[in-house]
Amino acid sequence: MFAIHQINLKFMFKNYFKIAFRSILRQKVYAGINVLGLAIGTAACLLILQYVTFELSYENFHTKKDRIYRIEQDEYENGKLVTKGVVGAFAVGNSFKDALPEIEDYVKLVPFSSVVVERNNQPLKINKIFFAGSSFFNVFSYPLLSGDSKTALSEPFTAVISETTALRLFGNENAIGKTINLNKEKNYKITGVFKDLPVNTQLKANILLSYASFLKIDNNSESEKAWLWNGCFTYLLLRKDVNPKSVTSKFPAIVNKLTGADFKKYNMSNTYLLQPIEDIHLYSNFLGEPEPNGDYKTVYILLGIAIFIVVIAWVNYINLATARAINRAKEVGIRKAVGSQRSQLVVQFILESALLNAFALVLALLIVIVTIPLFNQLAGQQLSFSLLGTLNFWLAFSALFIIGTLSSGIYPAFVLSSFKPVEVLKGKMVSTKQGALLRKSLVIFQFSASLFLLIATLIIYRQTQFMRQQSLGINIDQTLIIPRSLVGNDSVFTLQMNAFKEELLRNASIQNITVSSSIPGEEVKWVAGGVKLHGADESTGRQYRVIAVDDDYIKTYGLKLIAGRTFSKDLGIHPHALIFNRKAIEQLGFNKPEEAIGKQIDFWEEEYTIVGVTENYHQQSLQASYEPIILRLNPNVRGYFSIKTNTAELDQTINKIKTEWSKFFPEDTFDYFFLDDHFNAQYKSDQSFNKIFGLFTALAILVACLGLFGLASYTSLQRTKEIGIRKVLGASVGEILQLLYREYASLLLVAFIIAIPLAWYTTNKWLQGYAFRITIHWLYFVLPFLVIVFIALLAVSAQSIKAALANPVKSLRTE
Amino acid sequence: MIKITDLKKFYRTEEVETIALNNLSIEVKNGEFVSVMGPSGCGKSTLLNILGLLDDLDSGSYLFNGIEVAQFNEHKRADLRKHNIGFVFQSFNLIDELTVYENVELPLIYTKIPAAERKQKVEEVLDKVKIIHRRNHFPQQLSGGQQQRVAVARAVVNNPKLILADEPTGNLDSSNGNEVMELLTNLNEQGTTIIMVTHSEHDARYCHRIIRMLDGQVVLENIMV
Repeated sequence: MFAIHQINLKFMFKNYFKIAFRSILRQKVYAGINVLGLAIGTAACLLILQYVTFELSYENFHTKKDRIYRIEQDEYENGKLVTKGVVGAFAVGNSFKDALPEIEDYVKLVPFSSVVVERNNQPLKINKIFFAGSSFFNVFSYPLLSGDSKTALSEPFTAVISETTALRLFGNENAIGKTINLNKEKNYKITGVFKDLPVNTQLKANILLSYASFLKIDNNSESEKAWLWNGCFTYLLLRKDVNPKSVTSKFPAIVNKLTGADFKKYNMSNTYLLQPIEDIHLYSNFLGEPEPNGDYKTVYILLGIAIFIVVIAWVNYINLATARAINRAKEVGIRKAVGSQRSQLVVQFILESALLNAFALVLALLIVIVTIPLFNQLAGQQLSFSLLGTLNFWLAFSALFIIGTLSSGIYPAFVLSSFKPVEVLKGKMVSTKQGALLRKSLVIFQFSASLFLLIATLIIYRQTQFMRQQSLGINIDQTLIIPRSLVGNDSVFTLQMNAFKEELLRNASIQNITVSSSIPGEEVKWVAGGVKLHGADESTGRQYRVIAVDDDYIKTYGLKLIAGRTFSKDLGIHPHALIFNRKAIEQLGFNKPEEAIGKQIDFWEEEYTIVGVTENYHQQSLQASYEPIILRLNPNVRGYFSIKTNTAELDQTINKIKTEWSKFFPEDTFDYFFLDDHFNAQYKSDQSFNKIFGLFTALAILVACLGLFGLASYTSLQRTKEIGIRKVLGASVGEILQLLYREYASLLLVAFIIAIPLAWYTTNKWLQGYAFRITIHWLYFVLPFLVIVFIALLAVSAQSIKAALANPVKSLRTE
Repeated sequence: MIKITDLKKFYRTEEVETIALNNLSIEVKNGEFVSVMGPSGCGKSTLLNILGLLDDLDSGSYLFNGIEVAQFNEHKRADLRKHNIGFVFQSFNLIDELTVYENVELPLIYTKIPAAERKQKVEEVLDKVKIIHRRNHFPQQLSGGQQQRVAVARAVVNNPKLILADEPTGNLDSSNGNEVMELLTNLNEQGTTIIMVTHSEHDARYCHRIIRMLDGQVVLENIMV
């Protein structure tokens, strides 16, 4: 008996699948809309999920990740927060470790500039260099390929290099024990080679120099007690089962004991917080990050879109399945008449949903494989096919299948299986009001979501445009930048530098050259605290961003002077001259720029004079607000060369510069880039976010319209008889169309009313993240609405026009 | 086989309550071939639906083979239906997505008959209604008469004790109609009880007894000779 039961169960399923297959084949348009909608929705969802998974995977490979924290240093002046930074004071790590038994270990990392190493008598530039404490390989789980992880970084002037760096420097020879000379200054013995760091880590080091070497250079050993000298990342490894909050709460007392008097003198204080290592990539974007981080908002917004799209596709299925219930009603009636139980019918219809979902998922998989390269380009990510090989991907895939099948299949299954055979077999079947209401609500949901996304896309687009089109207050066009020369000793260097400048300026195609410690388009890393008017109380000292510049900076960059004068050789040498920007003199306490001219400033125990004030300008992207900036004259500054060129014969000019560079700095490599590219690179993430958002919005609208098209087709099909009667009674095609449109017009209006406040609130919130932003205009809401109305009209029209034009005699006869 | 006593059935809308069957009592014996006649709206179809356990009754008693089924729930009704009752409809009601063979096979699947036996039964019955050569066709590829023969085959494949036919010839021309009536007569001769609703005096002549209804009540019973 049991065996028979099993056989029949199997057969029953076979029968269901047969019915499902054939009904899919018979209803190609219906099935096509569903499969296509589900496939697009699922593919979009999978692509976004891959991106999100990648973003969330940062630092998840450290075996001790739950216990590793980076120290965040928040600096206050007068009780007011002025900087949140992650390159903190040097004394932090060792002082906390000494005082708190909860800390098992700590490691300090000091970022070092790029270095030049000689290889086959050619200079070779290597970037991403850090001084790293000896416990680096204990705290982190970066695998060491050779060398002893315990001792590799303990001796002064030892270095551990990455696999790729080893290959670049020594080819296939064993690197261990070899010596590298950095910038023609110090020699380091190689004590280890580590596997190239994964893409999902923030520290993508190429060379790690022992922290012990840092202490030996320029008497840096003072650093271990320095609380007012910022420059290192500190990572703590807490003991097992230690609550990070309890550790954080013990920091203030330690800081106060060790440096409280100093802080009091300057009326400042530092607060130390712990960042779980896995949160750094998405939640930390503070001063001094080793690489630009991601943003949790982007990740969650995209996740939200992914969910929107796939839910819209599921809603399509529900809408279409219930709308065309009438076509299946007869079958349900017959099945019940010959003895089917309702539960058997529910199973049958859910299986049907499973089958459609399965088709859709296969198609989605193909779409994902085909579009991954395109998506990567948009997202600026390096997702690869290998994600298809991960368990997580298939888990998400299966979850989408199961949730999709059930969420889209259950409601229609219950509706369809509830038909009473007496009614449907008599042809008395009328679609219930309840079902119609549900369908209307679901359509409203789809269009609210589409409108919301479209409004957001438009506002994001406008903001991105705005940032790029706004005048910066600084001229970054036709500016060629050469990063600072790394090799050479200081006394000779200034002479060489000036000679190089002079030589280039002979060239007619080069208009100006300036050397400065920072260039526009990046955070000014030199943050000086305690700067105040001469003779004022220490407690009035404030933080400023400082750029060391030569005489030509203002002229080269076309900064607008609003008071005083520029630096100038002709006006005599003022080694202690400063130029403030408007924001900086306001911070100093002046409202009118003229008042600040000639004022004496105490800058790190030396006296300086304000000789000029510039208008505020955008040192960074418009996302950042104006910072108080001090330009400090330093004719010996060693930094970027900014070279203003003519557009004509650019190649020749670059060749000329290169030739001169190798004459003056033969031991250094020649690298250059254009400043406008560099500056606009800041908007890269905004632009790719905009593109991704726009793309997925378009997909969401497409899927929603597919559904609307299907729904409108069925409605007009169901109303064939009504339309026929109306036409017989004299209704025109226009009047019939009006009748059909009216139904959807009201739904769209409701969707609009729902979408406006949500979109306004969300985009407003998003815009708050930009210091300089557009004001939201009513057109940003009305235009997307009109677009959606137009698209929806097209979707509804396709079948409605056909229905309205149909010969009424024909449609009435089929009754 | 069937004994109905004081059956009442109402249809309610928001405003009116119409009585469809009013204190109706009938009895049908094993092996009878009964036709139910009467003008449109007299309650014939309602009666047939109640007899077929597709619809419930408001009051009265319904004994099916001596068992009171009036209070059966949906599950029990479906169970009784699939083992005992076959339906033939005016509009055939075949499933368009299934072939002739698969349509006839359907009741056997729901009664959990093993595959080999199913095959034998379906072929037997298709042979009986002379449609075996069209076994792999879909309903829409058949004429009305052929479709109704398939529907009859489906109704009898499970060897039901009772066949309920609702105007089985209503959509057929006279020669096709006669064919279907011959088929039903044959079945009846082999022992199946048949209750048929019809408008056709011609068809009614195939029966043993005619129950005439008006306004939800039996007004006359003719015994055919």
